Amino acid sequence: MENTRPITTYQAAAILISTIIGVGVLPLPLFAVQAGDTGAPLVTLLGMVLGAIGLFILTFLGIRHPEKTIITYSEDIIGKVLGRICSLFVILFFFVLTGLAAREFGEVVVTGVLQETPLEVTVIVMLLLACISCRNAINVFSYIHNFYLPMLVAPVLIVVALSLKNADPLYLRPIIGTNLPHMLFGTLTISALFQGSFIITMIIPFMKNPKKAIKASLFGISISGGLYLLLVIATVAVFGAEEIKQIFWPTLELARTTALPGNVLQRLDVIFLAVWVTAVFTTLFSSYYFTIYSIQQLLHLQDHKMLSCSIFPFVFISAMLPQNLIQMYEFIKFVGRVGLLITILYPGILLIIDFIKNRRRKENASQQT
Amino acid sequence: MRRNKRNLVLLLLFVLLLPLLSGCWDAMEMERRANILAIGIDEASEKEQEKDGEVAHLKKSFQMPNQKLIKVTAQIAIPGRIPLGPDQGGDQKPVLVMSVVGHTLEDALLNLQQQVADELFLGHLRIIVLNENVAKQGTKRLNDFLRRNPEIRRTAALVVSKEAASKYMKLAPDLDRVPSLYLADMVDNLSSLGRFPPSFIGLFWTIYSSKGQEAYLPYLTIKQKDIIELKGLAYFKGDKMVGKTSPLEIGVFMAVKGDSKGGYGAFVHVPGTDQMVMVQVRSRKTKTKIELKNGRPHVRLKVRYECEIDEKESPKVKINDSKVLKSIEKETAKDMRMSIEKLIATTQNAGSDVFGFGEHFRAKLPRYWNRNIKTKENWEAAYQQLTYDVKVDTFIHRVGMKAK
Repeated sequence: MENTRPITTYQAAAILISTIIGVGVLPLPLFAVQAGDTGAPLVTLLGMVLGAIGLFILTFLGIRHPEKTIITYSEDIIGKVLGRICSLFVILFFFVLTGLAAREFGEVVVTGVLQETPLEVTVIVMLLLACISCRNAINVFSYIHNFYLPMLVAPVLIVVALSLKNADPLYLRPIIGTNLPHMLFGTLTISALFQGSFIITMIIPFMKNPKKAIKASLFGISISGGLYLLLVIATVAVFGAEEIKQIFWPTLELARTTALPGNVLQRLDVIFLAVWVTAVFTTLFSSYYFTIYSIQQLLHLQDHKMLSCSIFPFVFISAMLPQNLIQMYEFIKFVGRVGLLITILYPGILLIIDFIKNRRRKENASQQT
Repeated sequence: MRRNKRNLVLLLLFVLLLPLLSGCWDAMEMERRANILAIGIDEASEKEQEKDGEVAHLKKSFQMPNQKLIKVTAQIAIPGRIPLGPDQGGDQKPVLVMSVVGHTLEDALLNLQQQVADELFLGHLRIIVLNENVAKQGTKRLNDFLRRNPEIRRTAALVVSKEAASKYMKLAPDLDRVPSLYLADMVDNLSSLGRFPPSFIGLFWTIYSSKGQEAYLPYLTIKQKDIIELKGLAYFKGDKMVGKTSPLEIGVFMAVKGDSKGGYGAFVHVPGTDQMVMVQVRSRKTKTKIELKNGRPHVRLKVRYECEIDEKESPKVKINDSKVLKSIEKETAKDMRMSIEKLIATTQNAGSDVFGFGEHFRAKLPRYWNRNIKTKENWEAAYQQLTYDVKVDTFIHRVGMKAK
């Protein structure tokens, strides 16, 4: 018989890391600096903590319902109709997220590297790649993530390490930014970059040992968050807060300024972009997979494979909706913050209701005996 | 029947894949690219003002009344003539030098494109030479285009020249067969030799954007025919160049800035005699402490020099005694302190905080900064009132292989 629970704890952590690290890497320092000036690393840390809270709520929920995902157990907790309506929002949100990630990818490629290539082509190619890969079963899904993980993490670390040559620690001070309320608002934008961690709800039912999901979450969020933090620290230390405000993709600019010693490579952006394409793919892959898998569960279908191609045109259309780069980022920030309602608040409410229900059930049980 | 169907599907698939064979939209053959290696920017002369191209705008429709046109001279590599090894490349010139005028850099480059058959490509741009007069009017008109264009390298060099920048484009130094590469390598090597603090266009922007410091660039001049010399450091206020230093003052500047690599030496008067010895700086260590004295910004600088004696002027002076060395150390320290103070005073008059003291105040005293300074302009004014003490310690560690 086929193993229905093939995913190990480390695989789950790897899926989380490679899902979280995605398109957001490029504008991350800009978002952080816009929110907190020199307090950007602190903003990132706070964002990470907020993201972690959401992730742990989901993990707890998953452990309490080890056979089900948020789509199915929400029906148990808040009732069939309400649960389905909420699930519809979750699916819609990840659907839009997929489209936007593909679009952001396309914009960067067209502006930064392939200027003559039509935007549609880069977006379609990326989406098609995710669409085809999504026809696989969950164990292939986890293998793909595991396979790419080292290629995602290593180059980022290399760029950060080499760039520190040009760093000036003075740019990082004062560590606490200047405008506190503004900073907290920015934290929301940053924590939206951690929304990929929602995927854990889909993984837990496939884990060998669902109880260990907490460990996987801890690893996942701390490694990806740590990488984000390093990146923000490095870019702020090299460019300073004021300069970052002038650059759309500070991380890319950092790679462009950094040279491999000995004039082997005078700019690292080519390597970095190659890596980043994989990072985008894994993120897109996850959100796409999550979207179709959730639709399958919502409609109680046998298989998710055929959904993969049928939602493709809609994802593509949603990707092409924003008119230009600036409109797209306004939209991404807005969607990201609204999404927090779905990725943090909604699971939070579910968890509380679940707790109360459980206690009542226990009380009832003890009264009866 | 079923097999036929399968074959048909396969065939269809191949047909679908056919368009992919045409390749990439961005495919571009090397030979069809006009690689710009270097750009020189001058003020256009009265005669050249008339040459405006009407490519990006019609005559007189450009809303920039009081600004003169700039003349852009570009060095374009001729495909196949760039020598790749010692045996390659004949006597033909490897580059083509062309001049155009325009309101902004992009405007000028569009005019240039109108005259060149191949597509201009800026990915190999290594150096941009700014004429002193253009630098004094401000680099704003160039920055925006250079930042937006994804082809530009952030590590390209930016320098200020005394002579017309177009002259630098036409130079043909004997040391390297590609003139602009010689120029770019020279500028890049300055910092590894300790002759100049690190300087490239990305760093220039970074410093220009930050509120508490002002940018600096190398200031070059042409010596005789085809020989370039580093003549000092051009310092800026905002995006405008406001002054330049002497070459030795670059060393002083690096000391204040805290650049540890020493490269400059100076003649020091030996106390009690009328002779001089050459003291070469090996490395330095700088500590910058800041504080508020009666609500006014105050800087305490402590510089420690590690030196050696390279040469003495005449046999009369004997440096075989540690007492003599001590006195030379003291004399050196005094000299250095005076030159540091002089340089700070000069830049204060110009209102240009090239040393980045303002960044220290912004970083370490955020409350003072937010209450009293906040903008770059305010700091420029505050810098002129800045007070400072300078303390210099000099240590001579070596005197070379000669015993006396």
